[in-house]
Amino acid sequence: MLQVEQLQKAFDGFQAIADAHLSVPKGEVVAVIGPNGAGKSTLFNLITGHLQADSGHVRFKGEEITKLSPFKICHKGMARSFQLINIFSSLTVFENVQTSVLAIHRLDKNFFRPSRKLLVEETLEVLDSFGLYDFKDRSCSSLSYGDQKVLEIAIALGSKPELLLLDEPTAGMSSEETRKIVNLIKRLSQEKGLTILLTEHDMELVFDVAQKIMVLHQGRTIAQGLPEAIRNDKAVQNAYLGETG
Amino acid sequence: MDFATLASQFFIGLSRGMIFFIVAAGLTLIFGVLRITNFAHGALYMLGAFIAYSVSTLFGQGPYGFWLALLVAPIAVMLVSLVIERGLLRFIYNRNHLIQMLLTYSLVLIAGDLVKIIWGTEYKSMDIPGVLRGSFNLWGASLPWYNAFLLIVGPIVALGLWLFLSKTHLGKICRATATDREMVDVLGINSTRVFAMVFALGGWLAGLGGALIAPTTTISMGMDASIIIYAFLIVVIGGLGNIWGALISSIIMGVGEAFGILFIPSIAIIIPYMIAGVLLIVRPSGLLKSAW
Amino acid sequence: MSTKKFSNYLGLGLAVAGILILLILPNMLSQYYVYLIATVFTTALLASSLNLVLGYGGLLHLHHGVFFGVGAYTVAIVMTKTSWPFAVAVLLAPIIAALIALVIGWFCVRLRGLYFGMLTLALGQLVWAIVYRWNALTEGDNGIHAIPVPEFLTSINSVYYTTLVVLVLALIILYVINKSPFGLTLLATRDNPVRSESVGINVKRHRLIAFVIAGFFSGIAGVLFVLVERSVAPSLLFWNKSAEILIMCLMGGLTVFMGPTLGAGILVLLSMVVGLYTEYWLLVLGLLLLILVLFLPQGILGYAMEKYDKRRSIGGEN
Repeated sequence: MLQVEQLQKAFDGFQAIADAHLSVPKGEVVAVIGPNGAGKSTLFNLITGHLQADSGHVRFKGEEITKLSPFKICHKGMARSFQLINIFSSLTVFENVQTSVLAIHRLDKNFFRPSRKLLVEETLEVLDSFGLYDFKDRSCSSLSYGDQKVLEIAIALGSKPELLLLDEPTAGMSSEETRKIVNLIKRLSQEKGLTILLTEHDMELVFDVAQKIMVLHQGRTIAQGLPEAIRNDKAVQNAYLGETG
Repeated sequence: MDFATLASQFFIGLSRGMIFFIVAAGLTLIFGVLRITNFAHGALYMLGAFIAYSVSTLFGQGPYGFWLALLVAPIAVMLVSLVIERGLLRFIYNRNHLIQMLLTYSLVLIAGDLVKIIWGTEYKSMDIPGVLRGSFNLWGASLPWYNAFLLIVGPIVALGLWLFLSKTHLGKICRATATDREMVDVLGINSTRVFAMVFALGGWLAGLGGALIAPTTTISMGMDASIIIYAFLIVVIGGLGNIWGALISSIIMGVGEAFGILFIPSIAIIIPYMIAGVLLIVRPSGLLKSAW
Repeated sequence: MSTKKFSNYLGLGLAVAGILILLILPNMLSQYYVYLIATVFTTALLASSLNLVLGYGGLLHLHHGVFFGVGAYTVAIVMTKTSWPFAVAVLLAPIIAALIALVIGWFCVRLRGLYFGMLTLALGQLVWAIVYRWNALTEGDNGIHAIPVPEFLTSINSVYYTTLVVLVLALIILYVINKSPFGLTLLATRDNPVRSESVGINVKRHRLIAFVIAGFFSGIAGVLFVLVERSVAPSLLFWNKSAEILIMCLMGGLTVFMGPTLGAGILVLLSMVVGLYTEYWLLVLGLLLLILVLFLPQGILGYAMEKYDKRRSIGGEN
């Protein structure tokens, strides 16, 4: 579904992404892991169009999307969540998700219909599946950190994506909240058949949910394959040992 | 159009650019360090001109009046700036741009009427000191001595700022603050003192600009309104917070305006805005990188 | 839920009562006050149109007065330099204002934050300079005076009612836009442009549309201005006029729909009252603005809403 080839990106001479490769098959959960500063977030930003690659290709459903802007990529069926909470701070929980539902239905430029009556059911359905239904009329900034992280993902799901990118979905969460997210990821993958690409620090979680893992080290893809193969890969062990040792 | 006319108009534009630079340098310095868009900068400039007028009048427009005014007016404006920073600005450093702008705009309104109360509404004028009167001949073009004087003062100020920013401790902190706010906090530098001093320095520059322009123009209410827009445009075109960008764009604006007056006098007033508009469209983030 | 409904009805009731009072007001006041209130209406529309971009779009639009001036000048020029009917002038004014907004906005929406603000200022001043200098078309510095208008719009009472009706209609349309998906999405682009892009919103396009709509309504306000004043001058397009509009929006409250209207009312009436006692209105305005910025940055209605919400949420817990 998603292919990344020979991707490169430098900031002021610093090679954040030197040579990244990635292939995400339809229906699978794929994880990108790597030590801090490996370039995982940069890779995500390159895929979703928030950054422009210096060279290389990103293909989505066989189509070149390397130079497209984020909103166009979203309309092609790719949505993402962010590592840091990135929601619409003055809106209610309901409106946060509704904004993305409206946009994907291309109703965001409609002037003369009251928005509170548009796509309500679809929005509520998303909220419900994330356990946010009861909070729908609350201001999103009044939610707990954990619930804001969940809302973060719910907004992405409002775009009805075929491919969902999750950037550190459990960063800063308690173990209980983390378990909730793990279940959520599994459910999205199994029940809705969603293809998911995620980055994560929590290795336990990664090996629990991912069907395939890509390892990024200093902006390079050093391994890519099944979890078992990655676990035993020498280069990967060196990369991680090199950081901790 | 002969070469002499072109050359003299070029020098006049250049010297006007020097005034722009002195005013805009203060504005851009304040922006770079304090992250504040100071609409009151034009008012401080106007204040500088009025104080210069008063000082020189007090000394009977005599030979020492001008030089004393040039010394006193910027310092007086600096003190006013210090009061503004300590009394008002420091309470709004973490507010949004609009609130900050409107606070400084309130000072514009207040200063305008205060000037009216203190100095009245008649136009004022101030004499050019004896040694700088008249003009000299340069390649057949006649160039006023006062403009030549400005062409000397401008680079001196630029040099002074450069020395200040690159050689002094405070200057280095200013540069660091302009590039990376957090780093300064981490280093535990007393930013309160830095902010106050930078704002005072900015005020001094505005006052100097006002004092320098005073003998060449009618000193009047409303002289702040157009200079502040020019200064803002120069600062933005040069790259917010970048003093050398401000120098370049000041020269572009000054010379552009002068040639505008020469070639198409009927629309000369449009030229600076046109230059600014085009440059902002072509280089939205300024000629030079923001800050240093 | 029922309290919410009640407060909705209360708001509607107040609005209807207010309009009724405004309808009978000209019969009770002298001509001067009728003229003054018509000025309030004009200014209220101008400030409300700015707030679509400033308050709801979160864009630092520093030179909204330009579109107002362009609208007013369009009417003035059509009525004095052509033999076209008044209706054409009225239709043309908001359209030309919107076109100028489209051109200026097209460049501005590519920039962010302060740069956006500075470019609105630069391009706005450019328009001012053109109006100031284009003597053949605009009479330059002198402005255009004694602009002819149709017979039925010559009495101050008919001007009053016209401006009132136009203001109410325009506010209703702006309100509908605010509550529409477009309005919601505009809030989203204000809160978080990056996230907006990633949920499929073309942020620049969205901002441009808001900018043009604001320019359009500002142009309508310009038409009203000509009806009230019958003259135009380049100072309408100078930047300190735009700063005044910003102050009105801030005073009433950027986040409340009726905020700019309230701010416009207060400022216009206050300038009249203060003018009776002193010639230093700007000093008073400056001090007022200073107090506002330091102590009431959310504006009068913004502050009232905060208090109201707090009381309601405390009431809800009990």
